[in-house]
Amino acid sequence: MTRRIPPGLIWVAPALSVLAALSIYPLLYLMKVSLTDAHGFTIAHYARLFQDRLFSVAAGQTLLYAAVALTLEFFLGLTLALLVDSLARGRALIRVGLLAPMLLPPVVAAVIWRLIYNPEFGVLNGMLRQLGVNTTSLTWTSGRTSAMLSVILVDVWQWTPFMFLLLTAGLQAIPAEPLEAARVDGAGYWQTLRDVILPLLKPVILLALLLRSMDLLRIFDQIFLLTQGGPGSATETVSLYIYRTAFRFSNFGYAAAMSFVGLLITMLAARGLLRLTVAVPAEPPCVSMRTDVIKLS
Amino acid sequence: MIHFLFVPSLRIGIIGASVTLVLLAGCSRPDSNKALTIAVNAGVEGSALKAAAREWGELRNTRIEVVELPYANLFEKESLDLQSRTGAYDVIMLDDPWFPKLVADGGLTPLPREPDGDFLASTLAVCRSAANFYALPYVGNSQLFFYRKDLFDRYKLGAPDHWQKVLEDGKTIGAGEKIFGYVMRAAPGNSAVTDFMPLLWAFGGDIFDPQGRPNLASPEAIDALRFMVELGKISPPGYAGFNAAEVSAQLLQGTAAMSINWPAWIAAMDDPSKSKVPGRIAFAPMPSARMPGVAELGAWLVAVPAASPHRDAAFDFIYWATDPAQMTQAALRGNPPTRRSVFQSPNLKKNFRAFPAQLAALEAARPRPRTTQWNEIENAFGVSLSQANSGAASPEEAMQRANREITAILERSK
Amino acid sequence: MKTSLKYTAAFLALAAALAPIYWLVTISLKREIDQFASPPLWFSFTPTLRHYSAIFSHDAFGRYFLNSVIVSTCSTLIALALGLPAAYGLVRFPWPHDWARGIGFWILSNRMLPPIVTIIPLFLMLRELRLLNSLSGLVLVDVALNLPFVVWMMRGFIEDLPKEIEEAALLDGESRIGVLLRIVLPLVRPGLAATAVFCLIVAWNEFLFALILSQTESAMTVPVGIASHVTQYEIQWGAMSAAGVVAMLPVLIFAAAAQRYFVRGLSLGALKG
Repeated sequence: MTRRIPPGLIWVAPALSVLAALSIYPLLYLMKVSLTDAHGFTIAHYARLFQDRLFSVAAGQTLLYAAVALTLEFFLGLTLALLVDSLARGRALIRVGLLAPMLLPPVVAAVIWRLIYNPEFGVLNGMLRQLGVNTTSLTWTSGRTSAMLSVILVDVWQWTPFMFLLLTAGLQAIPAEPLEAARVDGAGYWQTLRDVILPLLKPVILLALLLRSMDLLRIFDQIFLLTQGGPGSATETVSLYIYRTAFRFSNFGYAAAMSFVGLLITMLAARGLLRLTVAVPAEPPCVSMRTDVIKLS
Repeated sequence: MIHFLFVPSLRIGIIGASVTLVLLAGCSRPDSNKALTIAVNAGVEGSALKAAAREWGELRNTRIEVVELPYANLFEKESLDLQSRTGAYDVIMLDDPWFPKLVADGGLTPLPREPDGDFLASTLAVCRSAANFYALPYVGNSQLFFYRKDLFDRYKLGAPDHWQKVLEDGKTIGAGEKIFGYVMRAAPGNSAVTDFMPLLWAFGGDIFDPQGRPNLASPEAIDALRFMVELGKISPPGYAGFNAAEVSAQLLQGTAAMSINWPAWIAAMDDPSKSKVPGRIAFAPMPSARMPGVAELGAWLVAVPAASPHRDAAFDFIYWATDPAQMTQAALRGNPPTRRSVFQSPNLKKNFRAFPAQLAALEAARPRPRTTQWNEIENAFGVSLSQANSGAASPEEAMQRANREITAILERSK
Repeated sequence: MKTSLKYTAAFLALAAALAPIYWLVTISLKREIDQFASPPLWFSFTPTLRHYSAIFSHDAFGRYFLNSVIVSTCSTLIALALGLPAAYGLVRFPWPHDWARGIGFWILSNRMLPPIVTIIPLFLMLRELRLLNSLSGLVLVDVALNLPFVVWMMRGFIEDLPKEIEEAALLDGESRIGVLLRIVLPLVRPGLAATAVFCLIVAWNEFLFALILSQTESAMTVPVGIASHVTQYEIQWGAMSAAGVVAMLPVLIFAAAAQRYFVRGLSLGALKG
């Protein structure tokens, strides 16, 4: 009985084959490239990873970037979601406005922030000068420490709305009864937040963290356009380094090896987060996401 | 519309999808009667070739597509095309340090006839690999030292012919005029390396020793970097993230007194619609230190990819574009020539006051090391230089690290 | 918290989100002399459309725009055409064990592959297929990008439909394809439209694939065209901002059209980012 081909397969087959051709094949190919050099089979590319200072710098910075941006985006997003949710009027309009940055092409976001950060002609230093601040040493994307902060700020600007969006959805899905009960018990705002709202939000929070961290770990577009990894290697990330190695140094083998290791790290991170998610005694986030279509109006 | 699309794909499964794609491919393939596709650098150097290509297209009644690509990914595009023999470009414009790599990959067509002797020897040397020429020199860039003659006169300072004097005069002018005494670019990669090479050479160092071993940990090289960091103190903050655009903007706005720059920018410096200081900048050879000053060669070459489907037309175009008459046109568009006869043409000399200085600098200019690994070396070297300039590493650390990394790069390529 | 304080905070956040976009728009409308004015001019400047006419008279930008339109539309249509039947098959057919869930997750996991990881083999693959530097090559990779999302979304929408109508139609002798076309499709049309909008946005914004797979202007999209302005030697702020505004408009229009489905769409759409 179970040997029979499931009748639904013919319906799924076209989609599956396109995806297999464009993801399984590339991964296998990548594996092969990462294990060969001009002379045939080699593990030299993987061995090199462990000694490559630039790679470890890039990996460290990618993690730093992801961690800082994730934290900021989460807390800002949560605060905003709670704040806007508690407003009596104008919620829909404020929500739509807050979501705008995440829709923009990353390239356009980079253009915007170049206009803002330019030390001499940018509006940021322009405004600071207006306030009487001496801006000669505020170089934003070209300063040794400020560069990293500046690119993180761009990410926070563009993607806090995403956190806000998911958490708003979560907040709206919370049933009225437990909130009512807490109020009857005389619980204050902070107590309700800690004991009722946050536990109920937990699946959505974990989903949001998972999705954001996957994107953060592969960050490429904005940094490529804003700093190209500089100054020095202050904003170099793994994606950027892979790009450079493959397309500028024409070393596809090493780039492939780095891709694999990068993918592995990302997958492990995702798995860890998913484990956490599943351990939560609520329905898995993927399911809950399907059931609530939140209207903004 | 949607009905129409998915019924066939459902029935025929995978094939349906691929048929759709092939159909799409049929409709959207670029038309093939286009005769010549030319990849140029987006910027001053490329625009002259672009203009020439348009004229040639009208002359030969041939369609032309010019692809302008920013310096930051011009090499990537060209290298991918050459390595994978896609034949997307019929003519490419390339920066001279890329030449060894592109030739080694077998991607360039040897020239059908040797270039004539009117081309300057220093620019021809970088077009040759073993016995063959693979490219023609189009833009005769070699570094020049730009300085504000008016300010040097005001403070009664002689021409900045020695690096120590550059530093001192920069401090004097900077303090007196409330501007930056010097401006350089130390963004990682091409920028930092380009602005450092003349210092390195003047201090008696070089990337490789005569035996071809990396030699950046030498006392000369470390001193040169120390001096660069000193110069950085009279440069605008954030210069460790600067590229050519920022350096030129500072000069054009009159906010910096000196810098190393390319002759292609001279026209802009003297153009009142772009510059606040037209006619006030003088152009000198590289300052000396322990050794005489040497400028870096930054020639732009034109070549024909081996996979080009229109090689004959492509060669016709590049010989035409580099002949004396066309190069004169290019010079009028602001491009420094690579032909002696153009430099010495009395008509042009009238209009281009820096030509004698340019010719002298170009004849003596030194190319970057001719190695297929240049991009990777430049990247590692540039990151270290940029770090030293942004304060993330000491000059000693930076140079030792660069030396180790370059050694490893060469080791791997064996 | 005081209500007025709350509103102040909300409006500050709104300003932080929108001011950068507003600034882009003003720069695109300013004459050069006003662009770099110090202190910055937020409201009072002489507007000009010069930069817009400049980018559209530059023939390449019109080409980029057309390419972007073709690539995002075609890739969306194909992704829907492949994804809708797949979703239907996963939901409405009996599958042994946990297959339906497993296949669903596998499809979704494709969305998690970082583009930088797949771009090298994809480049070589498209070269073999002679699809480099062609719009169809870009359509293909964008289909792969959007397909998991379409399947995942449509699965949810189809699950929400009552099974009974379909079963009645099957008993009346309607074929499966007939059921999908004549019964399911009209019912999921709003969801399908929303999904389409999100696919359009993802394909419109896509940068890395378009950067690497295009070689000449005939296959460059708007983001690639803008990027070449951004990294150029001499930056033309006016033209760059005007191009940015033009690139941003379709996305905002699409989004306004699908506002109601923001949450479901964007949360999963962001799997790619």
